[in-house]
Amino acid sequence: MSRLEAKKPSFCRSEPLTSERVRATLSVLKGIVTSCYGPAGRLKQLHNGLGGSVCTTSQSAALLANLPVTHPILKILTTSVQNHVSCFSDGGLFTAILCCNLVENVQRIGLTPTTVIKLNKQLLSLCTSYLKSEACGCRIPVNFSSTQILLCLVRSILTSKPACMLTTKEVDHISTLILRAFLLTIPENAQDHIILGKSIIVPLKHQRVIDSTVLPGILIEISEVQLMKILPIKKSDSFKVALFCVSLSGDLSDTGEGNVVVSYGVSLENAVLDQLLNLGRQLVSDHVDLVLCQKVIHPSLKQFLRTHHVIAVDRVGVAVMEPLSKVTGTRPIGSLDSISPSSYGSVKELCTAKFGFKHFFHLIPNETAVCSLLLCNRNDTAWDELKLTCQTALHALQLTIKEPCVLLGGGCTETHLAAYIRHKTRSEPEGILRDDGCTQTELQLIAEAFCSALESLAGSLEHDGGEILTDGKYGHFWSVQADSPSVVNWPDLLSRCGCGLYSSQEELSWSFLRSARLPFVPQTCLPCKATDSAGNLTLDCFTAKLSGLQVAVETANLILDLSYVIEDKN
Amino acid sequence: MAAAGSVRAALQVAEVLETVVSCCLGPEGRQVLCTKPTGEVLLSRDGGRLLKALHLEHPIARMMVACVSSHLRKTGDGAKTFIIFLCHLLRELHAITDKEKDSFFSENIQTHGRHWKKCCQWKFISQALLTFQTQILDYVMDHYLGRHFLSIFSSSTKERPLCRSSLEMLLGAYFCGRVGRNNHNFVSQLMCEYFFKCTACESGFEEVLELVDDCFVELKVGVTGLPVSDSRIIAGLVLPRDFSVYCPADGDIRIVIVIETIQPLFSTFGSEFILNSEAQFQTSQFWITERTKAIMKYLQKQNVKLLLSTVKQPDLVIYCAGLNGISVVECLSSEELSLIQRVTGLAPFVVPQASSQYELSNTAMVKFCKPFILRSKRYVHLGLISTCSFTPHCIVLCGPVQGLVEQHEVALHGAFKMLRQLFKDLDLNYVTQAGDQNCTSSPLIYKNSRESNDLPEIVNGSIQRPYQDTVVKNKDELAKTQTYLEAYSNLVVPSVELETNILCSTPTVTLTDTYQTDATLRCFSPDKAGIMDDHEPFIESNSANSTTEYTRREISYENLQVTKNARKGSMLPVRHKSLEMCTSQSYCFSSVPAGCVLPVGGNFEILLHYYLLSYAKKCQRSEEIMVSMIIANALLGVPKILYKSKKGNYSFPQIYIRALHSLQTNQPMISNQTGLESVAGKYQLLTSVLQCLRNILTIDSVINIKRQPQEIYDQDSEEEL
Repeated sequence: MSRLEAKKPSFCRSEPLTSERVRATLSVLKGIVTSCYGPAGRLKQLHNGLGGSVCTTSQSAALLANLPVTHPILKILTTSVQNHVSCFSDGGLFTAILCCNLVENVQRIGLTPTTVIKLNKQLLSLCTSYLKSEACGCRIPVNFSSTQILLCLVRSILTSKPACMLTTKEVDHISTLILRAFLLTIPENAQDHIILGKSIIVPLKHQRVIDSTVLPGILIEISEVQLMKILPIKKSDSFKVALFCVSLSGDLSDTGEGNVVVSYGVSLENAVLDQLLNLGRQLVSDHVDLVLCQKVIHPSLKQFLRTHHVIAVDRVGVAVMEPLSKVTGTRPIGSLDSISPSSYGSVKELCTAKFGFKHFFHLIPNETAVCSLLLCNRNDTAWDELKLTCQTALHALQLTIKEPCVLLGGGCTETHLAAYIRHKTRSEPEGILRDDGCTQTELQLIAEAFCSALESLAGSLEHDGGEILTDGKYGHFWSVQADSPSVVNWPDLLSRCGCGLYSSQEELSWSFLRSARLPFVPQTCLPCKATDSAGNLTLDCFTAKLSGLQVAVETANLILDLSYVIEDKN
Repeated sequence: MAAAGSVRAALQVAEVLETVVSCCLGPEGRQVLCTKPTGEVLLSRDGGRLLKALHLEHPIARMMVACVSSHLRKTGDGAKTFIIFLCHLLRELHAITDKEKDSFFSENIQTHGRHWKKCCQWKFISQALLTFQTQILDYVMDHYLGRHFLSIFSSSTKERPLCRSSLEMLLGAYFCGRVGRNNHNFVSQLMCEYFFKCTACESGFEEVLELVDDCFVELKVGVTGLPVSDSRIIAGLVLPRDFSVYCPADGDIRIVIVIETIQPLFSTFGSEFILNSEAQFQTSQFWITERTKAIMKYLQKQNVKLLLSTVKQPDLVIYCAGLNGISVVECLSSEELSLIQRVTGLAPFVVPQASSQYELSNTAMVKFCKPFILRSKRYVHLGLISTCSFTPHCIVLCGPVQGLVEQHEVALHGAFKMLRQLFKDLDLNYVTQAGDQNCTSSPLIYKNSRESNDLPEIVNGSIQRPYQDTVVKNKDELAKTQTYLEAYSNLVVPSVELETNILCSTPTVTLTDTYQTDATLRCFSPDKAGIMDDHEPFIESNSANSTTEYTRREISYENLQVTKNARKGSMLPVRHKSLEMCTSQSYCFSSVPAGCVLPVGGNFEILLHYYLLSYAKKCQRSEEIMVSMIIANALLGVPKILYKSKKGNYSFPQIYIRALHSLQTNQPMISNQTGLESVAGKYQLLTSVLQCLRNILTIDSVINIKRQPQEIYDQDSEEEL
């Protein structure tokens, strides 16, 4: 028994947000996440002085996973962002920055937390109901008959991760690959509810990005030695497959809690091997062409199978078991004795392939809902980043299928939303306040804090000292280069807004984002032709961004609500 | 170390704790962030949890926390109010004793040293508190407060239909104090919806509450990373694991539960399997395979479509199940198993020894069983068909961080506990005094444990309160083994000789005259020397006082357990007779009926405050007045904090004056609050606090031991802190 030790008393601090140290750490975190945001975001190099690999990234998932935070408040913030990312993959930085901005802005006002939280919640529900409504001016419905919007979405995600180190051409290539991989996971004969397949990302480091490719079916990596042993595959239209989840190595499985006594001279190994060879004979007589095993196959059995022209691949691992059984239509076999014929499956084609320095065994199924995305990049860190990005993009596409619409990216949604909230809180404050016991002044103050949090979030897309403008009609986001002449004709300097939907040819009464502006009614309801014609839009995943907005406001409310921090130092 | 500062030290401790908990109190309360030693962060507004998280060192603080946690175990609510109330009581006591210590107690304490003087003074107060708790509090609750009570039931018939809107108000108020401000409405609506969805019929809600309270952990699914508003209720049971093998099936599905591996093993525990030849090994393996297949085939023949297993099944079983179209869920925890068994009444399947032909008996039906995906994690979703009044539903709780999800879980669980308490009757019993006679009673509590001696208390009591009558209340435990009166409710047996109670394997109850002199006291003496000894100072002290006459001694049985007693018949006449005889005093055993509520916002406190003050005005004895005043004033502490941030018409003084005015003029009290709270909970809180205060007051010194805790009991008390 361990020694009993009295617990040390905890450390208790009141009003944590008022302390200078907390504010400082919060602003450091804010600085880190803000500088990573967007296509022009700066990269962060995380390296541990004690060893391990160096991570170069600008993504929240990688950044926050490697960034140790000690203060409990920061911990709340980062875990909440990480949880969001693990649900939606996208929008982590968005959530983190918005949350930091909200906490900072609201603190400056100095209203009581009760009022702040109540009003923040009202404003949030105003935002979500607007974003979900048909009249929303920053939402585009997705037309699945063309790939245009989906491609734009993937491309926006790729370009917003500069640590992938992709050129424009490579971005085009990868985004087409991702979209194709996604389309391959949609089953051909769709029933009432679609169950999406899986795209397996196969690593191929130290290759050119352009060499990346998508293949239907599953790639199983094999060593060169194994490859030599595989006989040339005979031509056929269909191959019979047996998939084992039980070990074929001849080990004796669970024998129970009691003892098993083996008399001298009895060789269990031989007994088991006999059993395995019997199994081999059955497989051969059932005309199985390919035997796959999750665990290890006994060399004798392997040899036996090879002599009978059966290909045996072992150690495929538990990760590919489910896609394998799905693709081939087999039932994983858990028995060594008799195999029901219904357990076998089939594939259309079998071949070996070489990509880079690696050899693969390629299974092409009859019905494709599983595909392999061979992903190449120059070095390890860039590859890791690219893999994360691809996963994000694939996830975003899946979410878009569920909720078929996208939001305008490039800061336009944020500025538009801010304009909408300003307008709403001015024009109909009674509807927002209802009977909460808050005054209109309080509402104006909080709305201003909320809007400026959104706008400075949009503003953090600019890292090169440029100016941010917004127009007085759509409330979109426009950026100007840093060294522009002071007396300007705006349409000449600006080309397109952040999302690329509108061009500066229209007269749009621009003003600086930071300056005080009169609230205006942002034009709701996107014109249809605008969305169709625009070639290259910057888009964001709707579900991820909406949830990110909610999580950011909820987390900010949580942080603002804290009156004590009790730290258990045991 | 010394007791001199006992109240002062306790007050200091309580004030520190009060500042921490008062920030979380009521609808305006804020959150506290706790970190665990493991680095996890937790959000909480739960007083009990905060106090535990502080890991206090101060001995008095630890005692307070222990009191709070024992209170919480009973009721699941009121930790913050506990501390605040305790703090105010100590404050009042401190103020009063500072002022009065010399004038009030002078005659008792002249001969003692200063230290002991104080101890006696605390002792005295503690005694007065006990008196208050046993008589005045219940009396006031029953006679005055009772008329203000509202009921959660929409009518008072036997079925007691629940009033939905009242329940919503009750839960709303509860969650106001438990979860973050922006979520309490949502969570309370979720809980209300859940409760009504789970309750199949109107009458069975108590059973439902019990089951949900017991199995709440299995009935909720926590999901992080989603906004709180995504939380929802889903029909059926969700198990946090994936199918080992899933075969889609339609219609009603037959299930069995297994608690062992279906595949036979070579040897069982304590046995030996001797292998003599390879052929033997092969045939055994073959037999095992065939046997497993046969069992699975049998299950399939019996139309079983789902196998729930508490253990991990071998690959072969999974494979055979798949071949026979049986879905398998493995590794159910024992809690999940017991929940499923409670809902369906299903017994585990016993693997038949011989190849059986008979019908499978231990099966149940489910409406559906399918995979359920939450946040890209797979769960098993079962549509259990219930055989009790609980219709299975699960709560999916979402939140951006684990800490918040946990907070909501704890709050919901607490709410079920609170409802369970609410639907129980609360017994009140007290002594009322008749005004027409002079023989006022000051009951002497005789706590009769099995060892039967709390005699110092008697001694103290008799020293301090030299009154004519003493009533010995014989508390339950002794009674168990002894003569026993089958009681419906209010049982008073005056003048039963105590010896029979103490000694007795063969109890005899003799009825003596109601107005007895010292003779009754002497009844003690012949039998038990020890008791005799202890009673001597009693007699002396009384004789030292001017009142030497014992006019009457009564023994009342409190908390009588309803047990079948052979002597019932012979006892009852005694009881009736005695009731007739003692008309001057009536022992009332009343109760706060189940489901009694009051509006929130300090209503209970203000009401009790008012009635205690008015009681104190009528009362003649100084120490009763003092205690009533102290408690009445301390009660206001809670509403004061609740209305701290309110201004103008809603500030505390305004509310207080309005409430007093309406009480004086017998108008109904108008409350601007919409919530309700349980009266029983408040009452229990009050008694727990008084008990804790008595504990604090009776401690005279704290002995500091600097040694590793050794006993296993120490570990238990560590956990409580």
